[in-house]
Amino acid sequence: MEAYRDQYATLFNNGKKVVVIGISTDADTTQSSWARESGFPNLFASDPDQSVAKLYGSADGKSDTRNVFVIGADGKIAARIMRFNVLSGDAYTELGKAVAATLTPAGGSH
Amino acid sequence: MRTNGSHRAAFIALAAFMAAPSLYSQQPAAAPVPGSAATAPTVGQAAPDFSLPGATRFGLLKDPVKLSDYRGQTVVLAFFARARTKG
Repeated sequence: MEAYRDQYATLFNNGKKVVVIGISTDADTTQSSWARESGFPNLFASDPDQSVAKLYGSADGKSDTRNVFVIGADGKIAARIMRFNVLSGDAYTELGKAVAATLTPAGGSH
Repeated sequence: MRTNGSHRAAFIALAAFMAAPSLYSQQPAAAPVPGSAATAPTVGQAAPDFSLPGATRFGLLKDPVKLSDYRGQTVVLAFFARARTKG
């Protein structure tokens, strides 16, 4: 989340037409205080029973299910990065590209 | 008593007969573990809608966070393990 915060402008079009939602099993109060302490600008959603994580194949009990889904304006999955490597610069580059691709007009090559 | 030859032949035939199904039938694929990456939606599929309690650095959100509310925008949905872990 720190890298998301620090690179927010470049990765997420400075929040214009892009909504970032961090989902975890933490209570919403925990997420809020953590976000306040660290200055995270994004939304959080609390999924304590992992009902949503299961919908997204992100609840098999392993600690590395840091999956990221980029959802286009049409509500469809535009890109997904499974087991996002928070320590890899390439992962953020890939994420930034995937987000940018959803913001360019249709007609580009896939 | 003429037993050896015909019994052996019968046994071989029986063994071949019993082995045949496993030679030709395929093992059914194991069902994917629920919640595992194999069950994740893929590119091009509709993102499953959800409605969850939400929060920001300013406090708890009054209304739930509902994915369908953001139709028309790009949504980055990031699952992470637990707050206060690295990343």
